Amino acid sequence: MSLNVIDAGMLSKMFLAGAKNLDNKKEWINELNVFPVPDGDTGTNMSMTVMSAAKEVAALENPDMVSLAKAMSSGSLRGARGNSGVILSQLFRGFTKVIREYDELNVPILAAACDKAVETAYKAVMKPKEGTILTVAKGAAKRANDLAAAGEKDLEIFIKEIIKEAEAVLAKTPDMLPVLKQAGVVDSGGQGLVEVLKGGFDIFLGKELDLSIDASPKAPVKKEGLAPNIEAQANAEIKFCYCTQFLIMLNKPFNIKHEMDFKEYLSSIGDSIVVVADDDIVKVHVHTNDPGLAMQKALLYGELTTIIIENMRLERDEKVSDMMEKQMQSTQMPVKTAENTPVQEHKETGFIAVSIGEGMNEIFRSLGVDYIIEGGQTMNPSTEDMLNAIEQINADNIFIFPNNKNIILAANQAKQLTKDKNIIVIPTKTVPQGITAIINYVPDVSIDENEAVMTQEASNVATGQVTYAVRETVIDDKEIHQGDFMGIGDKGILSVGTDLQTVAFQMVAEMMKDDYELISIYYGDSVDEEQANSLVEKIRAEFNGCDVELQFGGQPIYSYIVSAE
Amino acid sequence: MSKIAIVTDSNSGITQQQAKELGISVLPMPFMIDGETYYEEITLSQDEFYEKLKNNADISTSQPAPESVLAIWDELLKEYDEIVHIPMSSGLSGSCQTAVMLAQDYDGRVHVVNNQRISVTQRRSVTDALELAKAGKSGREIKEILEADKFNSSIYIMIDTLYYLKKGGRITPAAAALGTLLKLKPVLQIQGEKLDAFAKARTVNQAKTIMINAVKNDIEKRFGGISPDNQIYLAIAHTCNEDAANILKAELHEQLPDYPILYVDALSLSVSCHIGPGALAIACCKKLI
Repeated sequence: MSLNVIDAGMLSKMFLAGAKNLDNKKEWINELNVFPVPDGDTGTNMSMTVMSAAKEVAALENPDMVSLAKAMSSGSLRGARGNSGVILSQLFRGFTKVIREYDELNVPILAAACDKAVETAYKAVMKPKEGTILTVAKGAAKRANDLAAAGEKDLEIFIKEIIKEAEAVLAKTPDMLPVLKQAGVVDSGGQGLVEVLKGGFDIFLGKELDLSIDASPKAPVKKEGLAPNIEAQANAEIKFCYCTQFLIMLNKPFNIKHEMDFKEYLSSIGDSIVVVADDDIVKVHVHTNDPGLAMQKALLYGELTTIIIENMRLERDEKVSDMMEKQMQSTQMPVKTAENTPVQEHKETGFIAVSIGEGMNEIFRSLGVDYIIEGGQTMNPSTEDMLNAIEQINADNIFIFPNNKNIILAANQAKQLTKDKNIIVIPTKTVPQGITAIINYVPDVSIDENEAVMTQEASNVATGQVTYAVRETVIDDKEIHQGDFMGIGDKGILSVGTDLQTVAFQMVAEMMKDDYELISIYYGDSVDEEQANSLVEKIRAEFNGCDVELQFGGQPIYSYIVSAE
Repeated sequence: MSKIAIVTDSNSGITQQQAKELGISVLPMPFMIDGETYYEEITLSQDEFYEKLKNNADISTSQPAPESVLAIWDELLKEYDEIVHIPMSSGLSGSCQTAVMLAQDYDGRVHVVNNQRISVTQRRSVTDALELAKAGKSGREIKEILEADKFNSSIYIMIDTLYYLKKGGRITPAAAALGTLLKLKPVLQIQGEKLDAFAKARTVNQAKTIMINAVKNDIEKRFGGISPDNQIYLAIAHTCNEDAANILKAELHEQLPDYPILYVDALSLSVSCHIGPGALAIACCKKLI
């Protein structure tokens, strides 16, 4: 039986299936990262983007095309995180601009929608790069239009052909981007798009799939490991306020010693500790006053998922609890751990920075940042996180420092969605760039002049970051083994080796091939001060014309972040 | 036409030798160093001063003793009809206040100019006063013209370290905010009364860019715009940092080629002792007449 049109009900199911399929494959997509860093996250970012839309779509009862289009578009726009996530959200936005005009979709309409999707996505990116999700989408849209022009009416053939073409283009991405070829992977964003299409097609073909999407946060899991007289305890004074639970998807071994260390750490910040380790998952439960600390520590071992944090004090009051739940339903994760005091007093200019690590956050605060969005390479904040931060700051002009190249697009998207405040995104690609940009802000000078100077000064900062490899690969002709340390500069891998200090030093030496005045070193939470000091001494001895400054960054995963300017 | 003498203090950066050539008088500023009194340029050279500063000597500044002010005035009035006295900014020292008080006993023959200048901008005021006197203006007129012009200048100073500002207790609340976790190169400004925080930078190059942009901004917004017809004076000052000051001069000239850079001076020691060595400054003022 050939089907020539689909209605809103069908499209809604297809969308949910596509979202689910992407969500199921996210870990695998994360691994398609060119750099074998511990926090490759394209899969996670795209999945969170599409799931944000899926939740809105799932909440629709008897969707018509207009409401479905709106849910897909606004849900993904607000949930967008990471470059691929933002591009995906723009694809949906363009697609829905066309389909919302119709009750039923046929081949020519879908082809036009694909075209609009690609056009919108290309516009969202300042310098579109080929060999990415954009190219895959473009290839698919072109095939759609060719089929429409050839008079194809059967949607099954139409969709199958589109997916075939998308996969073919995806397979060619390594030929377009040499870095992909060297790393032996296809583009992760493109792969994500293909998974969405495939998921949708499965439903179209009538496969039985579970399409239930959690529209609300998971019901609190029964608290394990608690004393049976929990009721009695509840009436007593609550010492630790937040019941914090999450899963760690391990990306390195977690042996009994790690477990002991981790438990000991947790007991230093809270009680009611449960740490259950499986082969590749650790379940964590702790009552603490600072859930952020627990999660930061956990990030050392892998990626976090299914994060649930409840305020146990408020929970006691049922009314408050109900309110909280409603609020939680409207605002989705993630959890802010930085102490962001909302600025009540109106001011002319405010500052938002994305940062992770106790020391880094403190540096940003000391430089006058009003609101810190916890995140970075390890966790790209969504457009919605940006919008929330913007809302918190009572200022006419707000500067945003994304401090990661994968977050700039989400910040720009937040700017587009903000009408009542003037948002200026300084496109800082690294944390040190952000620090320098903020330092160069001059209160007495106009916003435009500040934007120009800050952007310029940020671009003069060279950054290097040291982390470890999670798999074997070859990049820039450098062989990398699992567990190796890598020094990653602005343009690629600068040094590789098994000794952290040597890799860090070699990275700095590579950076210093240009002329610089000041080297700043921010050491992460896995490095102790003594170790960091010995690196500083070695660098001072080698580059004695240059100031060298050491700061505690406290960032996870990156042992050292170094800047030269 | 009355015969007018010009008096200033050593904060103007005018040396005794230059003073002789210009036909003016320069009061040396006194310094208390480890309990002993020194006079700028008379018994204390720039080199000696920085040597003591680096060795953590206890240095404090004071204003010229009234008797030395009176001695100069009395001597000059034997030969001149009037005196125009141009002390360092009243926002930074009590010298001006004291001079105003002392002048009350001179029946209007001594005119103390309160125009908030220091260093190279003070030096420019002295030159202006000389030209005005030559043009036949009276002491009162010169005072009025200079004071009417007092906001038409600014100085931006990049400080190499916050150490001396903190030590001297001269940090205004705004400047204190610059003392963060990171080592910074603060840029201060002197505009009218006070030395205040203007901006901050991470490196010397960033600080220089900030200062040059600030000067451009002042010319654009306060001094009538950047054009060859609008005459602006520029100057460079430094503390124990002459090579860098000459480089800055070249960079400034490249950015604002239409305007003369009058001086590259060492900052007077009474400023230096609060900001320490390694500072760079750019001053600009609108041409008076």
